[in-house]
Amino acid sequence: MSLPVFAGSDELIDYSALRALVVDDYPGIRSALRMTLSNFGVTKVQLVTNAAEAIFQVKQQKYDFILCDFNLGDGRDGQQLLEELRHSNLISIETVFMMVTAESYYEKVVATAELAPDDYMIKPFSADILQGRLESILLRKRAFREVYRLFMAQDLEGAIAACDTLIHTQPKYVVDALRFKGELFVTLGRFEEAEALYQEVLRLRAIPWARLGLARSLHLQSKNEAAEEELRDVLEKAPEMMSAYDLLADVCVANKDPFAAQAALEQGVAISGKTVRRQQRLGEIAHANGDLQTARTAYATALEKGRHSIFISPADFGNLCRVQIEQGDLDGAADTLKKNRNTLLATAEGKFVTAVTQSVVHTHAGKLKEAAQALDAASELRRQGACGDPNLMLDLAGACMASDRFGEADGIVSEVARNAHDSESLLARARRIYDDAGRTDAGTGVLASATTVVRKLNNDGVMLAQRGDFKSAIDKLMTACEEAPYNPRIMMNAVWVILKFVEQSGMNESMLDQARRHLTEAERQAPGHARLAGLRLQLKEVETHFGVYRSRPI
Amino acid sequence: MTFEDQDFYAALIHELKNDLILLSMTIESIPATGETAQDQPIEAARLHCQQVVDRLQQALLVYKATQKSFHPRIDAYSPYELMASIAARAHTLAHDRIDVTLDVDPDTPAIWFFDRGLLEMALMNAVQNSLRYARTAIRLRLAIEGGALALCVHDDSTGYPEHVLASVAADEPCHATGTGLGLKFSRLIAASHDNAGRTGTLRLCNDSGAAFCLLIP
Repeated sequence: MSLPVFAGSDELIDYSALRALVVDDYPGIRSALRMTLSNFGVTKVQLVTNAAEAIFQVKQQKYDFILCDFNLGDGRDGQQLLEELRHSNLISIETVFMMVTAESYYEKVVATAELAPDDYMIKPFSADILQGRLESILLRKRAFREVYRLFMAQDLEGAIAACDTLIHTQPKYVVDALRFKGELFVTLGRFEEAEALYQEVLRLRAIPWARLGLARSLHLQSKNEAAEEELRDVLEKAPEMMSAYDLLADVCVANKDPFAAQAALEQGVAISGKTVRRQQRLGEIAHANGDLQTARTAYATALEKGRHSIFISPADFGNLCRVQIEQGDLDGAADTLKKNRNTLLATAEGKFVTAVTQSVVHTHAGKLKEAAQALDAASELRRQGACGDPNLMLDLAGACMASDRFGEADGIVSEVARNAHDSESLLARARRIYDDAGRTDAGTGVLASATTVVRKLNNDGVMLAQRGDFKSAIDKLMTACEEAPYNPRIMMNAVWVILKFVEQSGMNESMLDQARRHLTEAERQAPGHARLAGLRLQLKEVETHFGVYRSRPI
Repeated sequence: MTFEDQDFYAALIHELKNDLILLSMTIESIPATGETAQDQPIEAARLHCQQVVDRLQQALLVYKATQKSFHPRIDAYSPYELMASIAARAHTLAHDRIDVTLDVDPDTPAIWFFDRGLLEMALMNAVQNSLRYARTAIRLRLAIEGGALALCVHDDSTGYPEHVLASVAADEPCHATGTGLGLKFSRLIAASHDNAGRTGTLRLCNDSGAAFCLLIP
């Protein structure tokens, strides 16, 4: 590919119409930035001190431009703020987000374009530079208007075509358009095309985000050895590139080398330990590897760093307590619950985590009366609809078993097994609980009947669908969904079959509604699963075909 | 250096930058009065402040080089936008004392691959020098020369002294001061850019004034 020739631009920007938010913990800088912005006409400026205030402001009204310092004192840093804003859809792809930062920042945030700021400013900078950068981003967003519109309307194919138009008509935006197009390919599950695209960019130059994109698309095609080779080389040249460690961990897990995955995450955490999700993942993998001390430190750090983060849920407290209990530190687990009492008791999910964990702590301490009280509380919460992650449910099953509540324990294990009929690690843990209680045979029976029913319904459904008998396939898979209401694989299969059926035999509003509900649940249970984007797209195509398409809120 | 010491160092640098950004923004906000006795010292302060900024950036670069973490961050950027922003800053700093123009060769590509921060640093350094020594004009130029992107700063001064040209050309160890120090940094920055077996260079010459030229493959 040859590089296109320069063409000037004389488009104008109306700065007085822009609504700006400045986030900086240093009062003098805040007012200086307000003055700098007013120098070139940006007068609608709101100043805030930290991430929490920024989120509050963004919820109140729409901002066109956010200028945020990376270093925000004791709370979350600017990158965490950006990730939370994007994850909760608080800002759209059209909002300009600029990070004010130190030199070492760039590698730390080379990630997907979605989680990267639009640009970054290195301190100190003048009003001229700020204006120049802002202008070029606004012009770029203007050029990408059609791409963004189609993207937000979930018309990803259309967005790809719009990227192609940019590639052919706007030389200046070739690389930006290729980058966006690569991510659209990945979202659509078109990994081979993504791989080819990143190779094309890399022929221009070894740009770090393109190398990461290539590694990701290799990984998604299960070409994990090539992906690992690429990532190790990236990290040798740019050891601060944080998202490469995260991806490398995924690749190592796929290569069935969990210890290498742990090592990759430990390296990442040593360079940048603030990211809540990296610590959570390290905790999870170290725990599975039996490295309890590392798991404990990681889970505790996640909670400490993510005190107000949207990525923290009551399950994180349960995870930390589980490790503490396994270490024999019952006081530590009790202390974790006590210290976070107010947070946990604020939600039903948190109350459930508290009750289950207390029951386990008391059981281990031999305080059977207190354990029974906690179990009663947990059962009551379950009756009211409270539900925990599978590991917490197995904690509960273990405590029930120790208190001779076999019926309840079997019911819970059966529910976990039905919802995770293909998860080796959860089924193995369930088996251990029965072994420890001296009920190995009973466990084999419970697990076999739970998984067999679901597996059979699922396999029958898929087979019928492959034979073209979609109607009977739907019956089987719907029954499977009732048996396993949180099993993402079953739900994705059900959605797939319903869509085939509607395509073949015509509109059926109630069926389509089922598909929508199951797909949403699958997205909740297995975020980022490779099949989800394709199914979402297929659903939209069917809806559009029958004229019932409603755009989801972005 | 222990980990705690590095954190302490980073915190100090963070504060220093905040102080510096405040200082430079405060100076920028002082309006011109039209009276030389009033405006001239402020203009001098503005230039000195920019120089402190440049020196701090150079110091950080040296620190990073000693920590072995000095890699250029190459991405695709618009050379025109880079040069236009340098021209705008030069214009602000020149305050009508010196005429600043930007010539863009029609062959210049819409995008090129480089580390924007590093090239900005080198070019601003050259602009600083030219602002100090130019008589009436600074000309920025963007072109393609022998397959490399040429980013140049020309002025109508008496040109570089011979010993500066010789010292940069010979890559002597760093006991240069002032102008020579900045030029050594620029040479280092150019050399950190490589592509397909070719390495970036700094070309200095006297051509009816000083001519500073970064050639980035």
